[in-house]
Amino acid sequence: MKILVVCGNGLGSSFIMELNVKKALTELGKVAEVTHTDLASAKAEKADIYIGAEDIVNQLGEERGHIVSIVNMMSISEIKSKLKPLL
Amino acid sequence: MLTELLTEDTIQLANFVNTWQEAIHLAASPLLKHNKIEERYIESMIHSIEKHGPYVVITPKVAIPHARHTEGVNELAMSLLSLQKPVLFGPEKPVFLIIVLAATDSASHLQALVDLTKILQEPNQIDSIIACQHKDDIIKEIQQIVAKE
Repeated sequence: MKILVVCGNGLGSSFIMELNVKKALTELGKVAEVTHTDLASAKAEKADIYIGAEDIVNQLGEERGHIVSIVNMMSISEIKSKLKPLL
Repeated sequence: MLTELLTEDTIQLANFVNTWQEAIHLAASPLLKHNKIEERYIESMIHSIEKHGPYVVITPKVAIPHARHTEGVNELAMSLLSLQKPVLFGPEKPVFLIIVLAATDSASHLQALVDLTKILQEPNQIDSIIACQHKDDIIKEIQQIVAKE
């Protein structure tokens, strides 16, 4: 299971969100590979789940693994509830 | 780390600004003044939001504008602007705290971002910073939160 956190520039918001995704996984008792990248690289990188702010992940396009859009990137409970059905 | 970056020199308070672009210009001005960034970094942060949407509003009331370090970052830096009245970064995206991130490479600012995450994970901590009326109070508030654990 690979989870890719996506942001516009690949640093900043995506790193903060990577921390939160890892925290959410720990709380759910799940293990997955989590990395972060920018939108352009994400289009070329394969992952099971792409997660990021709505504005960003909507630009990933079709034919992807699961796409999860997050409203509040600091909310562990939102991340948990959206990831849970996919793990 | 965060407390070394957010200091008397890089924290500002303002009553209000008219646009989110103005907020970013103002928030980044101490970094420009101290030569941590170049003017084009500010334009790049604004362009990034125009292109991708207000994704920098990482949690309600808080925006962390940033761009690639190759777009004009001279030195790792951060600055904070606290507004008394919110500015809209998008429909239903009112922002009180603008925290400009300027990274020199993606590794060097990680500890500062870990500290920042500690602050932003609790909405009441965000509200306490917004309620501060002086730079000193903001600095104290941040020191207390970062020292927790």
